[in-house]
Amino acid sequence: MSKKILIVDDEPRYVRLMEANLITDNYQVVKAYNGEQALEIVAAENPDLVLLDIMMPILDGFTVCERIRKFSTVPIIVVTVKGEEQDRVRGLDLGADDYIVKPFSATELLARVRAVLRRAAKPTGVQVQSVFHHGAMEIDLAKAEVFLNGKMVYLSATEYRILLQLAQNVGTVLPSEQLLRDVWGVEYQKDKEILWVSISRLRQKLEEDQSNPQHIVTRSGVGYIMPVMPEGSYH
Amino acid sequence: MTDELNETVILKPEDLRAVYAISLAIAQTENIDSALDLIVLHTRPVFIFDNMVLYLPKEQSGLDPSYARVIGRGKCAEGEIEWGGAIALKAFTARQTSLLHEKLDGWENNRLFWRDFLGLPLKAGDDVLGVLVFGRFGGPPYAPDQIRLAEFIAAQTAQLIENHHLVERVAKLEAERWLRRMQDEFITTISHELRTPIGFIKGYATTLLRDDTKWDDASRREFLTIIDEEADRLHELIEDLLDSSRLKAGTMFMQLQPVKLDMILRDIIVRSTARYASLSVQLDVDHEVMVMADPIRITQVIDNLLSNAVKYAPGSPVKISLANSKECCVITVEDYGPGIAQHHLEHLFERFYRVPETSVTTRGTGLGLYICQQIIEGHNGAISVSSEVLKGTRFTINLPCKREMEQNQLTREEQKA
Repeated sequence: MSKKILIVDDEPRYVRLMEANLITDNYQVVKAYNGEQALEIVAAENPDLVLLDIMMPILDGFTVCERIRKFSTVPIIVVTVKGEEQDRVRGLDLGADDYIVKPFSATELLARVRAVLRRAAKPTGVQVQSVFHHGAMEIDLAKAEVFLNGKMVYLSATEYRILLQLAQNVGTVLPSEQLLRDVWGVEYQKDKEILWVSISRLRQKLEEDQSNPQHIVTRSGVGYIMPVMPEGSYH
Repeated sequence: MTDELNETVILKPEDLRAVYAISLAIAQTENIDSALDLIVLHTRPVFIFDNMVLYLPKEQSGLDPSYARVIGRGKCAEGEIEWGGAIALKAFTARQTSLLHEKLDGWENNRLFWRDFLGLPLKAGDDVLGVLVFGRFGGPPYAPDQIRLAEFIAAQTAQLIENHHLVERVAKLEAERWLRRMQDEFITTISHELRTPIGFIKGYATTLLRDDTKWDDASRREFLTIIDEEADRLHELIEDLLDSSRLKAGTMFMQLQPVKLDMILRDIIVRSTARYASLSVQLDVDHEVMVMADPIRITQVIDNLLSNAVKYAPGSPVKISLANSKECCVITVEDYGPGIAQHHLEHLFERFYRVPETSVTTRGTGLGLYICQQIIEGHNGAISVSSEVLKGTRFTINLPCKREMEQNQLTREEQKA
């Protein structure tokens, strides 16, 4: 079945631009021209991806992103404007999975969409009954759900993929480039900023003491590691 | 000073009343002159003087009289304010109350030759803000309790000036802040306005360039039309920016020539209705109207008003009428759209001003009407707006007729000669 993509932009010509290109690539498209509409559609239609413009009157993209994240893990690509670099970071910080900068080319748009959807796809073949334990954290691999002290934690698709990479390699340092390549795709290999923001968000959600992280530890200049828990701390 | 006052001076009831009235006057007015008028008024019954002068520091050095009242016995001699200059300077540099007592020859016959000046520095913290001088002619010299009372009045005056300085400083800072905000907003608006068309051109051009897709004719036409329109918009925007900075720099010159205004209007309407499918314009003119004008600039003004009507009064018909008298001709451009609230009208022609209610939904820079006004004023004409909410908006342009223009030009050349 074709993936359903929600386009949110107050400029009809941008909506049309994205729609025309996405439809020819066999995506199904739903459209919203403001933030309120976007929230309603995300709740009602359960899209597979949201393309979310930041500069919108009344309810801006940041607010929409934040609100979506309160009830949904749908992948979000924020559409920012060149020259507003801080918007990109802020979007990621609020739980967006990726960003695209206006002006963009049609091929760039489609590449980003493909990359994010690929990332969001639930990893297959890990159908082992398993639940992964790490200290107070639990990952239900079958359902792609994460719990902290028994309480469910909402992670975006990207955050979940990072966590999974680290969990599958417990005790091994994963270099930043490798994480970027595996989670985002080869074209993101150099974009350390996007990784930092995501790691920081993950820690906010998972670490009790962020200055002394237990699950995701930085190895300066190299990358990140999920350390082996000391004996007895496994459930 | 005030402490000493408490210790040594016992104020009489009338003194107290005056002191109270003076404090009140200073607390209630920010205007120095009117407060000083009140000080004179309330001081006079309890303290005899012929003139009172307030000296304030000049920008470089020295003092200037900034307020003077000559009353009672001193009224006949206008030059008297000069006489306080020396004592003012002394009090200012010494930073303390100074007295000058002069008895010139012949004082018995001319009381103006017996002069007592009292100079009181106006202190605020470590600064001396100025000097208050009281002059008295024909004696008697100032008594110690009168000097104390005068010092109290000086302290109040110092407070008044300090307040005034603060008010001025706040107003200056506010103005700077406002200007900075306007500039920031302009940069945000302008970069958005420039980037939007570029974003569309780039996006739709690369859409057409995709080699993995064949677009049908209708889509191709649609995308190319968008590219074409956005390129036009970008062009207009750049022209507006250039015009606006030319106007600011005073380097936009009108190429005045005799033009048939009715013809120009007809041309504009043909082009505009072709461009905006939704626009219908009714032209109300039945005879030839000649004016001296720059045809390109006048066209630009009318184009701008029409595109505003399309933007802000969508779907509304537009009526253009042209009337003329001997002296001037009047063009009105009228729509029947949502109108503009009264309190925005006075700002409408300001550079960068945009009506906040529509600025989020409609693209624009706040330059268009500013440019229109400047162009019309460049023709010695005037443009004005009237509007009623839910009824519509009407722009009225007054242009001097051909003969009037020539005469104006003649007068100017005569003046130059």
